[in-house]
Amino acid sequence: MERLVFDAAALLAMLFAGVMVVSRDPVKSVLALVVSFFALAVCYVMVLSPFIAGLQVIVYAGAILVLFLFVLMLLNVGREQPDGMPRPIQTVLGSLAVFVFAGLLLGMLRASGSKIPLLTDGLDPVEMARPAELARLLFSDYLLHFEAVSVLLLAALVGAFVLARREDAP
Amino acid sequence: MTATDWVIVVLRVVLPALILPAFVTPLVWVERRVAAFIQDRPGPNRVGPFGLLQSPADILKLFTKEDTVPASADKLLFLLAPGLAVFAALSTFAVIPYGPTIEVAGHTIPMIGADVSIGLLYVFAITSLSVYAIVLAGWSSNEKFALMGGVRSGAQIISYELAMTTAAAGVVLASGSFRLSTIVAMQQGAYHLVPFLPRWNVVPQFFGFLVFFISAFAETNRLPFDLPEAEAELVAGYHTEYSAMRFGSYFLAEYINVIVASAMTATLYFGGWSLPGYHPHGVLGGVVSLAVFAAKTAFFVLVFIWVRWTLPRFRYDQLMKLGWKVLLPLALVNLIWAAGLEMFRMHN
Repeated sequence: MERLVFDAAALLAMLFAGVMVVSRDPVKSVLALVVSFFALAVCYVMVLSPFIAGLQVIVYAGAILVLFLFVLMLLNVGREQPDGMPRPIQTVLGSLAVFVFAGLLLGMLRASGSKIPLLTDGLDPVEMARPAELARLLFSDYLLHFEAVSVLLLAALVGAFVLARREDAP
Repeated sequence: MTATDWVIVVLRVVLPALILPAFVTPLVWVERRVAAFIQDRPGPNRVGPFGLLQSPADILKLFTKEDTVPASADKLLFLLAPGLAVFAALSTFAVIPYGPTIEVAGHTIPMIGADVSIGLLYVFAITSLSVYAIVLAGWSSNEKFALMGGVRSGAQIISYELAMTTAAAGVVLASGSFRLSTIVAMQQGAYHLVPFLPRWNVVPQFFGFLVFFISAFAETNRLPFDLPEAEAELVAGYHTEYSAMRFGSYFLAEYINVIVASAMTATLYFGGWSLPGYHPHGVLGGVVSLAVFAAKTAFFVLVFIWVRWTLPRFRYDQLMKLGWKVLLPLALVNLIWAAGLEMFRMHN
């Protein structure tokens, strides 16, 4: 039963990721991505990580994509019109990239085979995914990385603010 | 699982979701009567006894009216958005405990839809999705007032969600869990020093409660924060183009959100279904706890209505200023205060 729900959600996530890429309407693309992220959250729940699932929905679907939608609406980006220009180089390189990526994925799957870590292996996944355990790791073993990322984000924030500020602003 | 177990699961999971919309009809009547009382006029009192049938009549009217879709609208999203609003409003209630775990004839029945470990996060996740219902309604209508209303509302909900989440983080700190049933369990009993004071979170974290409750008004788009539908400037905001029951869906969602926000306030800060000094047992305990929970929720619903008919609407810049410059810093101070209290408790 769990396997069935996981597979269905994974399929849905991939399907809507595809819709996101091919859709010519940017707003529809964002919405497809929302559905995809939501399906991904369902996958997280099915591998017993409800905390990550919650964060996935709150941060990505709830905050970042709303901002995307916001910008699209404010700029009033219309439908993308195909300009009819042939792009031979892009077509060749794009197809090549798809094949290389598919090859890499297949190779990885074949090489690891049954060695793909399963839920039942070793560590207790429920214990690992607990918010308390995650917080302990984040604020002990990974404290330096955590602080470094927060400083980086702050720098990005200040940078965006400086760029967006008008010259004549007080 | 036996047939009885299935019946119990269906009753405790499906029933609250079905009962919630049923409460909306009398709630609209209560709102209009209280509004009339505050403004010193009779209010709806003609249809049925005390005007009680006014709301059912209104809803019947909404269902039978013509459902129009603007020619230039994005049809799929236009039709989808109201459904999304109701869905988001209804699914939040699933994790709120409305009673203790009771034993009836050998069956253990937890009085909660789903006692998940990320209860509080789930509520915030669903709330953050409900913003799509409003933003999409505004965008898909393809009309300037609707779009402005949708964009405003999106900015408002995101801004106040931040303050609300930070305030609720204080409660998580005090309880050590996202699980709402644990948060309720941690609030039982009384303080050692002041035995008549229940151990409700509102006592040590009064400012957290204040921020949470004020943000709840903004999250549910109620006055004094109903800027997305400021009539004087935006016609009717994001639902300008909606008619019939699709229009009604937004009001259904708003009232359900008011009930859920009140229930959340009662759960996080006022001990949920628990009554100080009362230990529920069996069916009677379940019924009493349910009544206590309903009474606390009803009280906050009444406060919602009271405030709506007392305070005027904020201006947009005032709204943003309040959210970012007052409520968010206050929530952060509350969080540090809660962390300090927790450290003090651990060292004693």
